[in-house]
Formats: sequence, structure tokens, C-alpha cells
Amino acid sequence: MEELILQLKNQIIEALNLEEMEPEEIETDAPLFGNGLGLDSIDALELIVLLEKNYGIKLKNPAEGKEIFKSVACIAEYVQQNRTK
Amino acid sequence: MNIQIKGLGIICAIGNDAPSVLASLKAKKSGVGPMQYLQSKHNELPVGEVKLSDDEMKKMLGVEPDAIISRTTLMGAISLRQAVEDAKLDLTGKRVAVISGTTVGGMDITERYFQQMKEDNTLLSILEKHDCGASTRDIADLAGLKDAEVITISTACSSAVNSIILGSEMLNAGEVDVVFAGGAEGLSKFHLNGFNTLMILDQEQCRPFDKTRAGLNLGEGAAFVALEKNLNPQPSTLNPFIGGYGNRCDAFHQTASSEDGEGAYLAMTDALEMAGLNPEDIQYINAHGTGTPNNDPSESAAIRRVFGDKQPYVSSTKGFTGHTTSASGSIETVISILAMQNDFVPASYGWKEQDEACITPSLGEENVKLDNVICNSFGFGGNDSSLIISKKHKGDLPETLNSFAQNIREISSNVIDDLEQLKDFKEFISPMEARRMGKLMKAATLTSMRALKEAGIECPDAIITATANGMLEFTEKFLEDIDANGEELLKPTLFMQSTHNTLGSAIAIRTKCHGYNITYSQGADSFEIAMRDAERLIKTGKANNVLVGYHDESTPLFQSFAERLGKPVPPMIYSKSVVLTKE
Repeated sequence: MEELILQLKNQIIEALNLEEMEPEEIETDAPLFGNGLGLDSIDALELIVLLEKNYGIKLKNPAEGKEIFKSVACIAEYVQQNRTK
Repeated sequence: MNIQIKGLGIICAIGNDAPSVLASLKAKKSGVGPMQYLQSKHNELPVGEVKLSDDEMKKMLGVEPDAIISRTTLMGAISLRQAVEDAKLDLTGKRVAVISGTTVGGMDITERYFQQMKEDNTLLSILEKHDCGASTRDIADLAGLKDAEVITISTACSSAVNSIILGSEMLNAGEVDVVFAGGAEGLSKFHLNGFNTLMILDQEQCRPFDKTRAGLNLGEGAAFVALEKNLNPQPSTLNPFIGGYGNRCDAFHQTASSEDGEGAYLAMTDALEMAGLNPEDIQYINAHGTGTPNNDPSESAAIRRVFGDKQPYVSSTKGFTGHTTSASGSIETVISILAMQNDFVPASYGWKEQDEACITPSLGEENVKLDNVICNSFGFGGNDSSLIISKKHKGDLPETLNSFAQNIREISSNVIDDLEQLKDFKEFISPMEARRMGKLMKAATLTSMRALKEAGIECPDAIITATANGMLEFTEKFLEDIDANGEELLKPTLFMQSTHNTLGSAIAIRTKCHGYNITYSQGADSFEIAMRDAERLIKTGKANNVLVGYHDESTPLFQSFAERLGKPVPPMIYSKSVVLTKE
């Protein structure tokens, strides 16, 4: 799990162009949207692309992302349960 | 206001001219269906295509079959020609302007040959037909208006209503005698994939305002109206008048509308005030109504704020035509005029189930007299415009232009013409914001914010943007993304930053400016057109200060194209912002 979390953080940094950030600066349990990291709806769409590209997970409706993208921990859990690659 | 609609032309998914569009609306027959002409992998997506091949359109226009012409230009020329014929105006010795809205321009051709253009010099001429301004010039020429001045507006999906607004302003100011205003947009793989990355395309027939709505269907088409000042106006059903209009910015988000529909509310309120009408004087609203989960409740909130319990008939006709993006404003204006002329309310095709967050649209009414209708048109970046069409004219506007002798003064100015100068971006832009910005957005933000700061203005009354080629860097990246990944797993960030009006709306969001907001894209004339508009706004008292920007960028590939064409190589970056005020 720890490995997956680190991998996800690196992938998030790359997909969202968070150039000046290091993986350890993203707290695993902190909210990604709103008051946490401050991501928005376009970032959520990028995360949907990330899941499909790297883990073969296809979200049909952007609203599904709301629960999944709460924190890196939530994403990791979802990926572990649903990944097809 | 005594600007009269003297003629019209239209081509869209439900018909190639006004009579056939009218027949489809009355028969409640949608033009949305399986993809026939667009060559895209995503043929599972229903679209509202014009039911003509490129060759068939070329034949209609009497153009050589092997000429390479975009669908935007072909459809624009067909509908403009109809408007010219319908208006039957004697244009001899008249000052004529053709104003068109487009964002895609020649993209359907560019994307077809993009990879080949990197090698094949014979294909480089395509590049000269790619930009929005070149497309409008060709539309005017093909319609026999070679001497007309041409202006292109690119405010995404509100472009065509903004064309009609600008045309009315120019006629009112006495700058021109006749205006043909509208918009044209052909379907392209580029924007189909772009909207797809935003996950706002419905895989089924769209259902604006319906509880189960799941997005929009893209469409294509073009429409123009002929406008002329009438010095002895009489009420007319056949040739109604421009009643009033409003152009505002939601200043909320690049791709989403605010929950309370502030921009839409302000646009409708401005239009009513200008027309001297009360909400209860409006019988019909042709809504923007795209069918996306976000647009429809936002627009509903705005309509409820303006009309309260006196809501007129409302319908979205995008279930018939698909969302024709930059052309939608004029296509829906023409549909509204057809409704007025024929005493009916077009149905909100596709609607079945009430959503509490949305208005209840009309499913079509017969024998309804429509004296005043509103046509709403909203675009990415919150470029929101509303237009009122009226059977009666409302009297002259005060002749402000003639009576104003005041001078206009440039009080501040800032230029960036070297990439080195972008390293200071942190002066105004946080790293979280910068991560998404291309160099043009950084430059435009810096010069705009510096010019405003120097002028001592936090929020300008209006923002006017000029750009010949728009967001080249991100457009090119998205084109490469499409080709490299075969239309799959593309980056939404690239698309959302590819439209020309991204710049002006980003400045509006940053300065919280809900005022007039427009983007011109007419090649080398873009900045002069923008400055003329700023002066017009100030002289008519619509703004006391205006931020005007001229922003263009290049890329190594674009520079190599210019070199191979033997043309001057465009600079990697040029951004100039000025603040104008009245003396």
C-alpha cells in the first residue's frame, strides 16, 4: 500500500503539473480539493484520465470522482480494489 | 433602438435554409443522430451535423471540388449568401461589414493535414486559412461581399450573439450602413475530443433541463442576419428590431457556470433595461440550455432571479440542432425570429422529467403572439450574452456619439516581448495557478495586471482582448495529443486553455470583473478592432475605463511553418495591455 501511495503521489504531481512539489509534501489523508491542496474540477478530470491510463479504471460520470478523490489514501484504496492493470 | 433585421440565412442539422429549419421545428424533428461526415473514432457520440458533404456544399457555392475549404467557411458562406439574398438591399456605395463568430475556424482542415504539413510544403497554404479571421474573410468573399469590412469575434459559445451586438453598436454609431452579423462553426475532431475530455458529451440524444440530462451533443452550422438602421420604423413581424442586449462575464470559472448564474442574470437584466422592457413583456426565452449538468441549473437560477413567478415560455432548441458552439447565438436568434414570424414557441426537444433545480421548459406552443423574445448565449470563461428581438422599435438611443466630444486617454501600458520577461510571473501568479498556464496566459496576465496597477484600477469596467492566433501552444499540444494517443486519454487541461477567450475570461476571473468582455481575432487587424471597440464603449458611456490587450504567441513548429512559407517569423511572445479612460 505504501508503495502504491508513493506511486500515486508522483503520478498526481506529473499529471497536474505540480512541478515545485515533492511527494512528501502531499499529505496522504489531507483533502485534495477545496481547502487542502486546492485542486478543482479540471484537476478531477485529469485524475480520471490518470486512473484509466495507469490502472485501467474507467469512470463514466465525473460525479463518481467526488468520493474517490477525497484524499490520496481514498484513491489508493479505490485503485487497489478496482485496478485492472 | 431602430436597428432592423432585414434578412436572414441559416444552415444547421435540421435544415439547409430557413423554410426547412422552420418545417423541422414545427414537426418536432431533431437533426441529432449518428456521425456521418466527421471522421472521429468517437462515432458512438451523436452529433448534429449539417446533412451535406463538403463536396455538396462546394457545389452549392460554385467552388472547384478540389479546393481545400473548411466546413466553417462553407457553411458560413452558404448562410451569408442566403441572408444577402433575403435582405435584397442595394449595397451600392454602402459601407458594409461582415461580423462573424467562430472559435474553431479552419480546424477541421488543419487537423486532417497537421502531421503531413510538417513535411509537405505544398500543404502549408492550409495554415493561412486556419485562423478565425481568415475564415470570415473567405465567408464574405464567397458570399460576394468582397468589399466588406470583416470582423471576427471569438468568445466561444457566445460568439455569434456578440457579433449581432457589435453590428448593432457599429450601426448605431454610424460607422457602417449595413451589417451582416452571425457565426459559423464546423464540427472538428479537435473540439469533439476537447468536450469529451471535459466529460460533458451525452452518449444519447441530449435533454436540456431534464432531470436525467447527461451532457450536450455537439452540432455545427452557421447563420447570419442582415441589419440596417431604419429611420422611419414601423412595427414589423417580418422584419423585427434589435430590442436590446447585454454582454457580461460570469467571472467564475474557465469551464463552469456559477451556481446563481450571475453573468447570465446581469446579461438578461442589461438587455431588458436597454430595451425599456419589464420581465412580463417577454413572451419567450430561447435558452442557452446545453443539457450539461452544470449549465441548465445555473441558467435556470438566473431566469428565476430575473423573471420570478412571471416566467415566459422557455425552451432550448439544442435538442434539434445540437450545440453549434460559436454559431449557436445566431442560429438560435434566427430560430427565435422564425418563431416570432410564425406565432409559435419551439419545443424544448428531449425534455421529459422535471428537475427541481431547473425551470420547466415548453414542449412547444402554437398560435402564440411573440412581441419580444430573449435569446441567451453563454460561453466558456463565462462570456454571457443576451439579445432581445422585438416587433416594435423602442425609439432612438440618445445620439451619444455625436454629442460626445470628449477625448480618450491611455493612462497606462505594459508590454512583454521576450520570454525572459516571464520569469517575474510570481509578482501576480501563484505556483498553483502557474502550473496550468502556457506562456501566453502568463504574459497576458502579467501585462494586464501591471497596466491595471499602474492605472490604479483593481477591476476595470470592461475587458477587450485581441489575438490573431490565440492559444497556439496548447492548441498544438492538444492536436499532438489527439494524434499520439488516437483520441483516447487526452488532457482536459490542454483543451480548456485552447480557446481564444481563455485570456480575457481569466483576467475577468482574476479581477472579478463582471463587465463587458469580448475577444477579437482578425489577424493583424485584431488590436485596432479592439481599440475601436474600447473607444466606442467609452464614448457611449458604457464604460469609464477599459482594459485592452493584444496577445499572441508562437511555437518552434509554427515558426518553422512561417520560415518554410517565406513569411516573417512571428515572435515567441508578444503581449501588450493598455488601460483607456475618458479624459
